[in-house]
Amino acid sequence: MEKLEDLKIVAEQWWNQGIEYLQKIPPNQLYAAIGVLLFTTVLLLLSFRLVRRTKSNTVLLSGLTGSGKTVLFYQLRDGSSHQGTVTSMEPNEGTFIFHTENSKKGKIKPVHLVDVPGHSRLRPKLEEFLPQAAAIVFVVDALEFLPNCRAASEYLYDILTNANVVKKKIPVLLCCNKTDKLTAHTKEFIRKQMEKEIEKLRASRSAVSTADIANDFTIGIEGEVFSFSHCGNKVTVAEASGLNGETVQIQDFIREYIKP
Amino acid sequence: MLEQLLIFTRGGLILWTCKEIGNALKGSPIDTLIRSCLLEERSGEVSFNYGAYTLKWTFHNDLGLVFVAVYQRILQLLYVDDLLCMVKESFSEVYDPKVMSYDEFDERFRQLRMEAEARGEEMRKVKVKVKPLNGVKKQGKVLKPEGGNKKESDGDGGDGGDEVKGNVSSLTNGNHKMEDDDDCVVNGKENSGGDDNNVGVDVSKLAKLRSKGVRGRGGLRKAESVGSNKGSSKVEPPKKATKKNRVWDDAAPKQQEKLDFTDSVDENGGNDSVEVAADQGESMMDKEEVLSSESESDDDEQRSDEKPEAKKKGWFSSVFQSITGKANLERTDLEPALKALKERLMTKNVAEEIAEKLCESVEASLEGKKLASFTRISSTVQGAMEEALIRILTPRRSIDIMRDVHAAKEQRRPYVVVFVGVNGVGKSTNLAKVAYWLQQHKVSVMMAACDTFRSGAVEQLRTHARRLQIPIFEKGYEKDPAVVAKEAIQEATRNGSDVVLVDTAGRMQDNEPLMRALSKLINLNKPDLVLFVGEALVGNDAVDQLSKFNQKLSDLSTSGNSRLIDGILLTKFDTIDDKVGAALSMVYISGAPVMFVGCGQSYTDLKQLNVKAIVKTLLK
Repeated sequence: MEKLEDLKIVAEQWWNQGIEYLQKIPPNQLYAAIGVLLFTTVLLLLSFRLVRRTKSNTVLLSGLTGSGKTVLFYQLRDGSSHQGTVTSMEPNEGTFIFHTENSKKGKIKPVHLVDVPGHSRLRPKLEEFLPQAAAIVFVVDALEFLPNCRAASEYLYDILTNANVVKKKIPVLLCCNKTDKLTAHTKEFIRKQMEKEIEKLRASRSAVSTADIANDFTIGIEGEVFSFSHCGNKVTVAEASGLNGETVQIQDFIREYIKP
Repeated sequence: MLEQLLIFTRGGLILWTCKEIGNALKGSPIDTLIRSCLLEERSGEVSFNYGAYTLKWTFHNDLGLVFVAVYQRILQLLYVDDLLCMVKESFSEVYDPKVMSYDEFDERFRQLRMEAEARGEEMRKVKVKVKPLNGVKKQGKVLKPEGGNKKESDGDGGDGGDEVKGNVSSLTNGNHKMEDDDDCVVNGKENSGGDDNNVGVDVSKLAKLRSKGVRGRGGLRKAESVGSNKGSSKVEPPKKATKKNRVWDDAAPKQQEKLDFTDSVDENGGNDSVEVAADQGESMMDKEEVLSSESESDDDEQRSDEKPEAKKKGWFSSVFQSITGKANLERTDLEPALKALKERLMTKNVAEEIAEKLCESVEASLEGKKLASFTRISSTVQGAMEEALIRILTPRRSIDIMRDVHAAKEQRRPYVVVFVGVNGVGKSTNLAKVAYWLQQHKVSVMMAACDTFRSGAVEQLRTHARRLQIPIFEKGYEKDPAVVAKEAIQEATRNGSDVVLVDTAGRMQDNEPLMRALSKLINLNKPDLVLFVGEALVGNDAVDQLSKFNQKLSDLSTSGNSRLIDGILLTKFDTIDDKVGAALSMVYISGAPVMFVGCGQSYTDLKQLNVKAIVKTLLK
C-alpha cells in the first residue's frame, strides 16, 4: 500500500514536471508537432488499408480461337453481341459491372474483364495478363469439341502449369460455350475428355528431360490418373451460351471471387 | 459489284456492315483474311483472294479499326480503294468508342458509294480513250461497251457498267491490267507479291520482268543457266571416248593406283571398327539456352555512333516532337526509320523481298497512329517490328513432336517423317541427329534410305545406323524412292518401330521431273511430317526454294488436300554468327515453324529455335 502511494506521488511529480515543460514551449511549435503526428498516423492507417486491398479484380477470358470469347465479353457487358464478331487481333478490356446487375441498387464493385485473343500467334499476350489475374475463364467450343480437343487441352495444360497460376492458386472455370445448339456436348463429357487428354500430355511432357520442360510445374498426383480435383487451384466446369445470353454460371463464378 | 463492306475493331467486334447488299458471303472470307494475311504480317499487300472473292482492306490505326471490302474476283473494280479511303475518313468522324451500332452511317455510305462509282467510271472512260489498245482487240468492240456504259451508268449504280467492263478487261487482259497497276490508287502500293495473287496473266508477268528487272525471278535465271550447263556438258562426252587420269606436275605417277580407298570390308561392316555412339551426352535439344541480357542503351549508343552526321535540326525537332507527342504518324515520318530497319535486316541475311514486305506491313499498322509522348519515332517503329517478328516466328501450331509420336503409337502405326531439300544442305546428317534425339527419349526409330541416286548415300546412312544401333531399310541404288519408302513403312509397322525417318535425294527446286518424283513419294506414302531442310547460309534463294517446293507439292498432288511443307529444319547454324535472317525468310514465306536447328556436326548438335534470341539478334 505504501509502495502504491509512493508511486502515485512520483507519478504526480512527473506529471507536474511534464506540464511545466509543455507550458514552456511556444504554442505554435506545439500545434505543428501535433499536426505532424496526426498526419503520419493517418498516412499509416491508409497505407495499411491499401496493402490489405491489393486483391485485383481482373478476370481473363481465354480459350482457342473461335470458341466465343468476344461474344461472351460483349454479352456480359452490354447484354447483346451487337452485329457479330470476327477473329480478334487484339485483347478487349473493360471495367464494368455486368449488364444484368445494372438494375441492382447500391455500389457494386466493377470487374476488370479481359478477352485475350485465342489465335496461336497471339499466345504471348496471355502471359502479359496472367500476373494480374484473379480468376480465369477458359472457354471451350462445345459444338466443335472433338476436332479441337487436343489443341484445347494443350492450351489448358499450359495455363494450369504456369508459374503465376500455380503459386497464386488462381481459380479456373472451364466454360462450355455454344450449348444452345443441339449437337453440343455435355459438360461432363467435355470434362472427362479434357482430363484424359491432359493425362496424356502429362505423360509425354514428363518423358522429356528435366531441363527441357517448357512448363514450369507439373500438375496432378504421381501415379494417379489426372483429375481436375488434383490441381492446387480450384477448377470447375460450367455451361454457357453466348448467342442466347445465358451467362449466369459465368457471372456467379466471377462474383464468387470478386465480391460485389 | 461490291459484295460486302465491313467495319470492325481490332478486338473483333463488327461495327457496321452494308445492309443494302445483304448477300451472305460463301465461306468465311473475313476470318480467313485475318488469320492468313493480317496476322501473318502481310498487311502491306494490296489484296487477298479467297475462293471467288477478292478482299481489299485498310486500317485506321489510331482508333483501331479495320475496313474490309469484298467483291467478286473476276470483276476488277477500280473504285474500291478510293471508296475505302472515303469511308475511313467519314467513319472516323462519326466513331465513338461507346457506340456500338451506326445505323445512320447507311445513308452516308450510299452517297459515298455513288460518288466512288461515278469517279471510277470517269477514270475508266478516260483510260479507254487515251491509251490505245495494242491491236489485241478491235476498236469496234471498244466503242460498243462505251456506248453501253453511257446508257446504263445512270441506272443501278454501275452494275451493268461493271459487267461490261468485265468483258472489256478480259479482252484487253494484259494491257489493261498493267494500266491498273500503274495508275493504282490512293492507298495501294504496288508490290510484286500482291500482284501474284491476282489472276496470273503471262503478259503482265513478262511486263513486270522487263520493268522491275529480274528481282525475285532468280529461279527463272537459274533454270536458264542450269539448262545451258547441261547443254554444254552433253557436248563434251562425244569428244572423248575414255577419260585419262590427269597427271599433275608435282604428283608422283606411282600414286595413281592408290586412289581407291574403299575398305575391303563387305557390306555388313566389320565389328572391330565400329564405335557405337551410344551415349555422346545429352542432345542439345534438351538443354535450356542461357539468354545474355543486354540493355537497350547499348543499341542506342551504337546507333548514335554510326550516324554522327545526322542533321542537328532533324535531331532537335525529333526530340521536341518526342516530348510533346506529335499528332499522327505520317508515312513520310515512318519512311526513314523503316528504311534503316530494312537495311539492318538485310545485313542480317534476311531476303530482300521479305524485308520489304515486312516493312510495308509494319508501316500499314503504324500509319495514322498517335505517337505516345516521350518516345522517338524510331523506337516506336522498332517496337512494332519486334512484335511483328515475334508474331511471325511463334509457331502457328504446336511443335510437340513427342506428343504426335505418342498419338501415332496409340493408333498402332509408325510416325513417318520425310526430309526434303536441295542438294548439300545436310539432310542425312541431321536425320541422324534427330534419330539420336528420339532414341534418347526411348522411341524406337527406323531409317529408310530413299536417296537412291547419290553415290554413297546408302552407305552413309548405314554407318549412322550402325553407330546408333537402329535398323535401316534400304534397297540399294537405282530404285524408285516412293516404292522403297512404302516398303519401309510396311516393315516398320511389322516390327513395331515408332518412327520412320525417310531420307530423300537433294534436288533443285526448278528440276521438274525430280519434283514430280518427290510429290509422288509424298502422295503415295502420306507422311505425318514433311520437313524441309534448309541451310542458314542461304540468302535470297530461300524464298525461291520454299515457294517452289510448296507450289510443286500442291500442284502435283493427286488427292484433294495437298500436303505442303509442315516444318523447317535449319542447318549449319554454327557457321553464321549473327546473320540469322534465313530463319525469318523461310518462316515468313512458307508459314511453317522451325522445328529443329542443326548447329554442328556431331549427334548432340540439335537445338530448338529460341524466338526471343533470334529477334534480338535481328534487331541489334
